[in-house]
Amino acid sequence: MGIAILVLMAVGVVLMLTRVLPTAFALVFLAIGIALLAGAPLDGTDDSILTGVLQTGSAALASTMLAVLLGSWLGTLMDETGIAGTLVRKIVEFGGERPSIVALGVFAVSILCGSITGSAPAAMLAGVVGIPAMIAVGVRPVAAGGTVLMGISAGSPLELPVWQFLSDALGAPVADVKAIMIKLFPMALVVGIAYVLVRTRRGARHAWAVKLERPKARVRRGDAPWYALITPLVPIVLALGLAVPIVPSLLAGVVYALVTTTKWGELNGRALRSLYKAFQVAAPPIALFVAIGMLLAAVKLPGAKNALTPIVSAISPSGGLWFVVVFVVLVPLCLFRGPLNVFGLGAGVAGVLVTGGIYPLPAVVGLMASYNQVFSVSDPTSTQTVWAAQYAGVRPERAMVSTLPYTWVVALGGMVLTAVSYL
Amino acid sequence: MTDVDLAVRLLRTTPTHENRPESQLREWAGKALAYGDELAGIEDDGEIRVVDREGGAGSRELLLAEHHRGTVTVYSDSLRRVEELARAKGWPVTREALRTAAVAHELAHHLLDVRELNRRLGHTALRFGPVRVRGHVAGAEEIAAHRFAHRRSGLAVSPLLITTALAGGN
Repeated sequence: MGIAILVLMAVGVVLMLTRVLPTAFALVFLAIGIALLAGAPLDGTDDSILTGVLQTGSAALASTMLAVLLGSWLGTLMDETGIAGTLVRKIVEFGGERPSIVALGVFAVSILCGSITGSAPAAMLAGVVGIPAMIAVGVRPVAAGGTVLMGISAGSPLELPVWQFLSDALGAPVADVKAIMIKLFPMALVVGIAYVLVRTRRGARHAWAVKLERPKARVRRGDAPWYALITPLVPIVLALGLAVPIVPSLLAGVVYALVTTTKWGELNGRALRSLYKAFQVAAPPIALFVAIGMLLAAVKLPGAKNALTPIVSAISPSGGLWFVVVFVVLVPLCLFRGPLNVFGLGAGVAGVLVTGGIYPLPAVVGLMASYNQVFSVSDPTSTQTVWAAQYAGVRPERAMVSTLPYTWVVALGGMVLTAVSYL
Repeated sequence: MTDVDLAVRLLRTTPTHENRPESQLREWAGKALAYGDELAGIEDDGEIRVVDREGGAGSRELLLAEHHRGTVTVYSDSLRRVEELARAKGWPVTREALRTAAVAHELAHHLLDVRELNRRLGHTALRFGPVRVRGHVAGAEEIAAHRFAHRRSGLAVSPLLITTALAGGN
C-alpha cells in the first residue's frame, strides 16, 4: 500500500513538472488518491474523504491564508503608496556611481519586501524599479535579477506568513518556527551579500541596448515620506522583538503604512481598494494552501500513516551527519516543483516525517525551511524567479545557474544548524 | 525632434525619474549632452579592445554593443537589424558607420567620469541645512555616450534618434 502511495506521489510530481495539471489541482487529486489507497471511507467519520480530507483539510491552513492575505495587503500598499519605489530611488541616487553599492541597497530593500510578502509580488515590489535601475548603473542583467531573488530569500526567514505556514502545516508552535528562522536569517544574509559582491566585483558593464517591447509606462507615484519608509520593519519588530502574534503584527504594518502616506479623507478609499487588490495578489498562494491542507490531511489518515511510516523510516537517514549529507545531496529535488518543495508535495513528505515520528518536529521544520531557501530563489518554475529573470531580460534557467551555488550553501548551513540543534 | 527632446524621453523612461518635472529632465539632458560634446573634443589615445560577435539581437532586446573592463563587444547581427531600420526610414547610414558609432558609444563609457558628470548635473539627493548630498542621475551617462558617439563617428543620424526609433518611439 505504501509503495502504491509513493508511486501515486511520483505520478503527481510528473503531472506538475509537465504542467499537465497546475500544482494546486494536482495536490487535490493526490490527496483524494492517497485517501482512497489508504482505505478511507467516503463519508461518515472524521477520517473520511469528504469530511476529513476535503472539508477539514481545505481549511487546515486558514491562519496561513489570512497571514498571506495581510502580507499581500501590506505589499500592495507599499507599492501603491510609493514606499518600495522611494526606497530604491533613494538608493540609486546615493550609490549610483558604484554598482555594487546600488546592488547591495536593492538587496536590502528586497529583504524588506521578502519579509512582508512572498512570491512574484515581493519580486515586483523591489524589482520593478530596482532591476532596471541596477542595469542602468552597470550591473549585469542576470545579477540584477539574482540580487532581487537573493534578497527576497534572505527576507524569507523573517516572513511572518511563512512562519504561520510552517506552524500550521507541521503542527509546530510559532515560537519554535521563529527560533529556527532567526538562526537561518544570518546565513541567508551573509551568503546573499557574498552573491551581490561576487557578481558585481568584476566592474560595471555598460551597453547600448534597446528594449524592443515598449515597457508598460510605470505609474507615476510621488515619494513616500521618510517616516513611511520604515513600514516593512513594523511587523518584524512587533513579531520578533515584542512577541506580538502574526496577524496583529501585519495589521499594525498596514495601519502604519496607511496613516503615514494617506490623507485623512482618503484613508477609507485607499484601505478598501488596496485590500481588494490584495485578494487578487493572494489568490494563487491561497489556492495552493487549500490544496496543501487537503494533502496534509490525507497523509495523516491512519491508513496512509501506517503504510508510509515504515517505508519512509527505512529510507530516512539516521544520525546528524547522514541527515546533513543525504538531505543536502537531495536539494535539487526541491526544484522544478519536485517532491521536496514544501509549497507542494514536500508538505506531504514533511507531514509523513512528522506523523511517523521519524525526526523531532523542530528538525522537520529546519529541514523544510532550508529547502525553502533554495527553491524560493533558484527554482526556475517559481513565479518570483520567472518574473525577476524575464524582467531582467534573461531566461529563468540562467537565474537558477547563477544563484543555486549560493542557495545550496544556505541550505547546507540550515541542515547543519538543524542537525546540531535537534538531532 | 531635437536631441534634447529625445534625451528627455530617454530619462523619462529610466527608472527613478518617472515623477520628475519636465524642466528638471530638460536641464539634465542639456548638461549631459554638453558633457558628451566636451568629452568628444578631448584628445585621447582611443585605445580599446574591440571584439565582433553575433548574438545581440533577441526578440525582446537589441544589444548593439557593450563595454566591460576595457573591452568592447560589438554585435554584428544587431547592426544588420539597425541597418535595415535605417534603410526603411531612408537614413543615409551604413553598417560600417553604425559600427564606428557603437564602438565610440562604448569608448565614451570607458572615458567618462561619472562623478564629474554628476557634479555638473548638480542633483541634490539630501539636504541637511547648508549640507548637500549630491545624487546620481541614472541615464545621464547614456545621453553623454550617445552624443559622444555621434560626434566621434560622424553618423548622419543621432544615436538617440536611432535608439528611440528601435524602441518603437517614432
